[in-house]
Amino acid sequence: MIALEDREVDAGSLATELVRLGGRLMMLFASASADGGHDLCAFVRAHDAHGGVIRLRAPVPGSTYPSVTPCVPAAHWFEREIHDLHGITPEGHPRLEPLVNHAPDEGEVKLFQEDDAGVTHRGAERLAGPGVFVIPYGPVRSGVFESAQFLVQTGGEDVAYCAQRLFFKRRGAERRICEVPLELAVLVAERVSGTSTVAHALAFSHAVESLADTEVPPRAQAIRRVLAELERLYNHLEATVRECEDASLAVAQAQFAALKERLHRIAAAVAGNRYLRGTVVPGGTRIDLDAAAVGLIAATMSEWEREWGRVLALLLRTDSFLDRLVSTGPLSEEDARDFACVGPVARASGIDLDTRRDLPYDGYPALAVGHHTDGDAMARMEVRFQEVGSAVELIREAVGSLAPGPTHVAIGPLVHEAALGAAESARGETLYWLEADGSESLSQCKLRAASFVNFGAFNRVFDAQVLTDFSFIEHSLGLSPAGCDA
Amino acid sequence: MIRWFLRGVTRRRLTTRYPRAEEQAPPGFRARALLPTEPLVGDEARDVAAVCLPRALSVDPDGALAFDEQRCIGCGLCAPALAMDPGYESARVGNSPRALSPSFRRSLHIRHVDAGSDGAVEQEIAALLNPYYDMQRLGLFFTASPRHADVLLVTGPVTKPMEAPLRRAYEAMPDPRVVVAAGTDACSGSIWTEPEVLGGVDRVLPVDVYVPGDPPTPVALLHGLLLASGRTREASSPFTGRAA
Repeated sequence: MIALEDREVDAGSLATELVRLGGRLMMLFASASADGGHDLCAFVRAHDAHGGVIRLRAPVPGSTYPSVTPCVPAAHWFEREIHDLHGITPEGHPRLEPLVNHAPDEGEVKLFQEDDAGVTHRGAERLAGPGVFVIPYGPVRSGVFESAQFLVQTGGEDVAYCAQRLFFKRRGAERRICEVPLELAVLVAERVSGTSTVAHALAFSHAVESLADTEVPPRAQAIRRVLAELERLYNHLEATVRECEDASLAVAQAQFAALKERLHRIAAAVAGNRYLRGTVVPGGTRIDLDAAAVGLIAATMSEWEREWGRVLALLLRTDSFLDRLVSTGPLSEEDARDFACVGPVARASGIDLDTRRDLPYDGYPALAVGHHTDGDAMARMEVRFQEVGSAVELIREAVGSLAPGPTHVAIGPLVHEAALGAAESARGETLYWLEADGSESLSQCKLRAASFVNFGAFNRVFDAQVLTDFSFIEHSLGLSPAGCDA
Repeated sequence: MIRWFLRGVTRRRLTTRYPRAEEQAPPGFRARALLPTEPLVGDEARDVAAVCLPRALSVDPDGALAFDEQRCIGCGLCAPALAMDPGYESARVGNSPRALSPSFRRSLHIRHVDAGSDGAVEQEIAALLNPYYDMQRLGLFFTASPRHADVLLVTGPVTKPMEAPLRRAYEAMPDPRVVVAAGTDACSGSIWTEPEVLGGVDRVLPVDVYVPGDPPTPVALLHGLLLASGRTREASSPFTGRAA
């Protein structure tokens, strides 16, 4: 259960209060209040390494309030979302264009002088004039990719600026979670970001378990750790495969893709689904790891780890790979903090945060959080390489500590009105805020995938980069448009 | 580079012999629900249908349990009333498939469009290139331009902002062309509903082959693509999909 410290401020001083608290803005959203107005709700973590989460509530009686984005850049997309969904205007927001409700065909392709948070981007000063044009890349892109659009502003080779347009894939997950009976809602959470199924199911389940004060049995916690780390492994492998593909290393790509395929086969054998769906539910897990499954994991993981070590060692000696990643797409620590980045993206830029350690859950043992200070594509990959090693170790530990006992307890009556659930996906902190009003379904759900915040910082990594680096940068960030768009 | 070469040539063959040999799913694999041979009726049918989020299970006017495999996400919540079918070969031909050109038989170029998927099916499609499936051995290729494509492989339940790009990709393709819906959400909309999503690719384009699965496995995708080029048949169980 996540300890929440509730505070109330008026909307006019929300920005001042956020600046005074410092720390990281986890999420910001609005909900309709009983008196016909709206409540803004901000979640802040003053210190990632210790302490709880501060929940700031700010009632907005009318339809406007002073924007917090000029002081807290991390709020930029949250405020545009609030404007789209509730019609409240954050006055003074530097770019209050539609975000989640965009009409893709009517959008004019134009040159940006300022980035989303209102800062004149450095490329605009460096690269200007009639020769600068925009490549509208996407939403349908070459190759097998998820739909997203990138407006790449360029003079031909140098990228002056890259604006990201997401939310082509918005499926209304938050609405669906509140529409369906509570016991089926986890199926929706699992499908928000299909490659982070376990992390989303965990964050959702943690919130429901907090609402009902339910304690998950130790055996279920260990199984959850196995599943979560297996998911982390195949996501990190996916990023590696993509980077090898970008570097035209055909053999490396095939070798890492084969390693990834073996993880999916383990998942299919022990959980009945290659992406681990239908495994984590509020109250525990729906699957059990019997002796045969434990044997399979133990036997295949050590051989897998040996193979991984060999291919990785080869990759780290391949100059044509290193040349493309080192110093490519740097994200400064300042930018990463400004945009409240999470996961490997933040850790590669020198920010020490990991939900598994900071908001502990499911009995994770003490975790050494690896981080890097370079902030470039190579640093992001190195953070992932380290995490592959630690994930294998965590799986081994969890399989070894499977205590006998139940894997599931029934969820009791919801004794609390609202709760926050969190989990660390392969892409970073995943959050679910749930409210219940005693009916069969939840009354409010706000979810925030790691990719929502990391995509918000996308344009910050393109300073002084060239067009051919685009895919290296994109894949080193390892983002999920599905999770971002929800 | 020589090290990579040696690494490549010293590994054993991993590639499946599918479709010449069957590819077996592990025993507990949850591909889709399996209706019992004895029809479920009455309260029992109603209770099972109530836990089916994507409405794959419903009670027909006679009170018997009906099943739409194009909506099934294999969640297994209908167990133990229903068993789960592990079979990989889930692809089905649509109600009015177009006549296929003989030129498709040994070379099929595929353009993928994501119309709002959850992201896992893209990885399963990309997995067709890994050494285990190696789809190029079957004459299947991805192409960047819809102008070079024979097959439009569509994922996702079709979100509103993706409707126009999807239509444009289809219109840019030369005839003969085939549309394959990949994944349960592309086949039927699955758990997603209006107003954000339209509810399946066939609301926008004529679909020739449906590949349900959540996500569809690489073998299911291969089965669907081979079906689209007239090189294989449907699995033997009866077609219970979106009958007209």
